[in-house]
Amino acid sequence: MQRPGPRPSLSRRARAAVLVPVAMAGIAFLACSREAGSPKRAEQVFRFRMHEDPPTLDPALSNDQFSEAIILNVNRGLVELDPETLEIRPAVAKSWTISPDHRTYTFQLRDGVRFHNGRAVTSQDVAYSFRRLLKKETQSPRRFLLEPVEGAQEFTDGKSAEVKGLTTPDDRTVVLRLAKPFAPFLSQLTMANAAVLPKEVYDDPAKAYLRAPVGCGPFRFARWEQANFIELLAFDGYYGGRPALDRAVVRMIESRTSALQEYIAGGLDSLDETPDETDTAMRQKVGQEIRKYPFMGTGYIGLNLSLPPFRGNAALRKAFNYAVDKTYLWGVLIPGSNIPANGIIPPGIPGHDPDLPGYPHDEAKARSLLAQAGYPAGKGLAPIALWVNSGEGNRQIASQIQADLKKIGVTIVIREVDWAAYIAAVSGTHDSPGQAQMFRFGWYLDYPDADAILRPLLHSSNWGPAGNFGRYKNPEFDALVDQALALTDPGERAKLYRRAEKIAVMDDAVWIFLNYYQAETLYKPYVKGVVLSPLGEFRLPLERLRIERSAT
Amino acid sequence: MRRVLGLVPVLLAAATIVWIFVFLLPGDPARLIAGGQGADPEVLESIRHEWGLDRPAPIHYATYLGKLLLFDLGTSYIQKRSVASIIAAHFPPTLILATAGVLLASVLGLVLGSLAALHRGRLVDSLILFLALLGTSMPVFWLGLILMLLFASRLSWLPVLGYGMEGAVIPFTDIRLPEWNHLILPAMTLSLASMGAYARITRASLIEAGTADFLRTARAKGASAARVFARHALQNALIPIVTLVGLDFASLLGGAVATEYVFAWPGLGRTIVHAIGLRDLPVVEGGVLFLTGIFVLASLVVDLLYLVLDPRIHYSATG
Repeated sequence: MQRPGPRPSLSRRARAAVLVPVAMAGIAFLACSREAGSPKRAEQVFRFRMHEDPPTLDPALSNDQFSEAIILNVNRGLVELDPETLEIRPAVAKSWTISPDHRTYTFQLRDGVRFHNGRAVTSQDVAYSFRRLLKKETQSPRRFLLEPVEGAQEFTDGKSAEVKGLTTPDDRTVVLRLAKPFAPFLSQLTMANAAVLPKEVYDDPAKAYLRAPVGCGPFRFARWEQANFIELLAFDGYYGGRPALDRAVVRMIESRTSALQEYIAGGLDSLDETPDETDTAMRQKVGQEIRKYPFMGTGYIGLNLSLPPFRGNAALRKAFNYAVDKTYLWGVLIPGSNIPANGIIPPGIPGHDPDLPGYPHDEAKARSLLAQAGYPAGKGLAPIALWVNSGEGNRQIASQIQADLKKIGVTIVIREVDWAAYIAAVSGTHDSPGQAQMFRFGWYLDYPDADAILRPLLHSSNWGPAGNFGRYKNPEFDALVDQALALTDPGERAKLYRRAEKIAVMDDAVWIFLNYYQAETLYKPYVKGVVLSPLGEFRLPLERLRIERSAT
Repeated sequence: MRRVLGLVPVLLAAATIVWIFVFLLPGDPARLIAGGQGADPEVLESIRHEWGLDRPAPIHYATYLGKLLLFDLGTSYIQKRSVASIIAAHFPPTLILATAGVLLASVLGLVLGSLAALHRGRLVDSLILFLALLGTSMPVFWLGLILMLLFASRLSWLPVLGYGMEGAVIPFTDIRLPEWNHLILPAMTLSLASMGAYARITRASLIEAGTADFLRTARAKGASAARVFARHALQNALIPIVTLVGLDFASLLGGAVATEYVFAWPGLGRTIVHAIGLRDLPVVEGGVLFLTGIFVLASLVVDLLYLVLDPRIHYSATG
């Protein structure tokens, strides 16, 4: 998923907040003890903040962290990703088998799964939801996650009334047959878009579900007042047991300063932004409550390989990489929230290569490569435009890169525009590159697999607006990434990803490799069961949270 | 009636200007609707077609105006519900905030202005003038934060921000009132800026209207000073104030964005700004046009109020 900013950038795609875990057993225990406990128990409410309303609560349309943060608590799919361990776990399906040829996935549904409207979930609901996701009229931006299923494209194109590879032999069984083996398939099914939905709600022509979603997750949707709040209530009939929280409230607050005041005043139990390191007074107040943890994302400066001067000039791209002082950038200028990157695949993802040399700051090397590239001391190189979407953090990064490159004689012009204008300048169309020669970008992985970053950003099949904005095309790289998808042995796959990454980083220097993300969030000490997920601050398994004020 | 009809070309011009600005915004709404990067070209195409983004500009404009004539403001690209319903949801909070702000500002402004005029040249006068200047010159954004820090964060008298979740719902509508204590800080923020201007104008008008002479004469005749002040002096001074309040009120409806932002108030201004970022063009167009309409209407009401306040003014049938 795209993330146009480093930590401090506030674009709508940027951050959100949150949370936390306790084992399932813990929840079951709590659920029991609560019922047995005193009837006067205080209501358990957890309040957290989002910058703005989620664009949608329709799982099929969701394409951003805000929407997912809600959907993943209201809805459930066949399988789910444990936000802490990153394991794929049973959800609506209690178990599954994969055929020896890695093409047939057979899911057994759990008994006793109910939608919030009380109806039992059957395999028909799964089939309905998957067909809905694939349907052209649904206009889902994430239709691709079911694309590996045999006959999916024909169904979308209207050439077939059924999805050939999707069958439901009985009420409790769903069979998915893939056109060819596809390793991350199960991972993709954990995404919010693959949620199981009740037909009677989602076929409503008045589309009431847009404002009042229904699912089978631990929380049922209660109220949504735009630009104000979203309220979720514990679902008594949740198959995993009623959550400890009675209520979760998401409050829409754009201003960071205001949100911090509200957090300190006690109107929020968690906040996805922390005071600047330089704001010592505030740091003192809430410093104890800051949680820091790495999460799966990579920040970089994209280089447009279809435009001069980067086209066909790897030496120039390497020169730029050596010129930028990442240690200063993330250690001194914007301390605390990012780790300098040596490449593309972030730590924690199979395939991450701690031994990849990358491009440590080396001005002398940068100068000599610049000369080798045909621009000794920058002579003959016209000013280059570096595009960023508006935001304090992006501005700081851009200025630092400008200053670093100035030292080797390269002139950078910064173009700061809002997100919509930025994405237009960066993506261009399939046939003509956008006008941005350089652009700051960030990417958070949707699921823990190197394919979730190498393919969308660098595979030639995603050329141009589809995600490969830099228009990188290297058949050797493509082949390795494709090969890795068909393998199922994790070790073998990781090897291939390392080789692919090395080509893109050390041979082709496709970007300026900047940072791996690190999250910082605030939690009040009475919030227990917090999960600091490598999937980002907005992966909030609310069902694991509980509130323990002073009592214990 | 003629004056009312005169509003039509104004609104038409406004609609056109808004459309042109929106048209000139860089960026592709379809891409944002489809979720930006990685958008499926087929999905993009179907979205462009559905929303008419693939049609040439003149046709787009004609469709837009045509719909407007039928009072159809269109449907939000992002929220997928009618722009009218979005305005209906976000205008009431703005209206409530602006009303509270203007009421507070008018009362404070009139009282302080009158006091200053009555004590012209003395310490009270200078003090009030100073306060008025301060109120007018402080940026709303900053003022809001200062009030928040003082009354909410430090003193804990009032909530820091928000509209509240449990206000009463107006019967037969979906409109929920703010919790009253949530309204105070944003309303104060809005009013302090206007209050300064009202106080100075009240003072100036009263002085110009010869308040002192009125009072002297009245006192000489044995009439009650308060009665004379209210009946003669204040009423004369009221005309410029009404104009100012009316226009201020109208502009606050759209211009309360900074206050709405600081206090996370779910108003229309914030909604429109948000929609610009998302390139949710129907919401931008509809919202701005609606506010223009309100502004124009408010001006009309102000004009009509003159009739009540000053018998010398009347609008003849011939204009």
